[in-house]
Amino acid sequence: MGLLTVLKKLKQKEKEIRILILGLDNAGKTTILKRINGEDISTISPTLGFNIKTLDYNGYKLNIWDVGGQKSIRSYWRNYFEQTDGLVWVVDSADRPDRFADCKAELHSLLTEERLAGASLLIFANKQDLPGALSSEEIAKLLDLKAIQTHHWQIVGCSAVTGDNLLTGMDWVVTDISKRIYMLD
Amino acid sequence: MTVTPSAKTSPAATASVSPDDVLKHDRPTEKFLCPINANAFIEFLEFRIRDVDTNQVMFEVKRPSYEIDWNARDLSGSDELRTINYTFPAAFLKYKAVGTTLVFAVCPAGISNFRMIERHYFKGKLMKSFDFTFGFCIPGSVNTWESVYTMPPLDPKQIEEMIESPDQTLSDSFYFVDDTLIMHNKASYRYAT
Repeated sequence: MGLLTVLKKLKQKEKEIRILILGLDNAGKTTILKRINGEDISTISPTLGFNIKTLDYNGYKLNIWDVGGQKSIRSYWRNYFEQTDGLVWVVDSADRPDRFADCKAELHSLLTEERLAGASLLIFANKQDLPGALSSEEIAKLLDLKAIQTHHWQIVGCSAVTGDNLLTGMDWVVTDISKRIYMLD
Repeated sequence: MTVTPSAKTSPAATASVSPDDVLKHDRPTEKFLCPINANAFIEFLEFRIRDVDTNQVMFEVKRPSYEIDWNARDLSGSDELRTINYTFPAAFLKYKAVGTTLVFAVCPAGISNFRMIERHYFKGKLMKSFDFTFGFCIPGSVNTWESVYTMPPLDPKQIEEMIESPDQTLSDSFYFVDDTLIMHNKASYRYAT
């Protein structure tokens, strides 16, 4: 069976992709999700559970899960790992310096999770519109991204408020996942 | 012996209804398949329908307060409270994408597996079935789910037929906790010109 036939065949059934958005509290996860979805972002309060969006994107059915990042909720993150194709880690690039250590530790701990082993990893260096925001290169260094050997990863500087680069990042993660799905078939 | 309720018969009060049962339904149920007080787990806070292209809200219900006293909930309501009769402008049938947003609170004990199945019928025929597994819900959490549906393009004749058949568009919504039915709601839809 040729590649074209495989692709055609895949198109016929509904292709579902599950993306999990995590990050420390106030990183901007919900704002990113709402912005991608064309919703009002003026009144967003801390997420005390999850926000899910189910939508069609480039021929895929995307289920995007944004789970709250407050310290008291983080222990529940593991309940949402199952069947995750892509992990989006959101960083507040203008956060207090002492929070980056926490941010790095939480991210690297996720990467040791067996149920996230196959997931593509997108890091959003969010809030690039704020003065004093660190660049994506600086964030990459602070989070020691170079050390990641286990996952396909990409870092994208973005702003959920202006919308800059959100689609660039989402495109990368969906494309990376779909390449993997095609190869497995 | 287990009793498997069908779309036609109402189950005995003790029989629990499973996802597999309702996935077999080929017409709207005649009765509600669980009592109102089967729901000790979730409370709806908001429900909203919007036109995605214009971001215009077509329908919205909201609880005045998010504060819920889980020990003193009033579950004595009548079946009328489980039915919504929607009237939408006919333009609704031409929208490219419609988003439905559900906001719900979860009981202090949390839920290990939450699932929704919705069956949509037109003139007694199954048109579409939605099946969504939320899975785990954090104790005491407030959660939001928006589903954006790409609407199938309808030809003028189909649109006319739907406008001329008020309340022949019906749906059953079933909510399960650990595969046991805890809530059943119904809706009817009419399109006004």
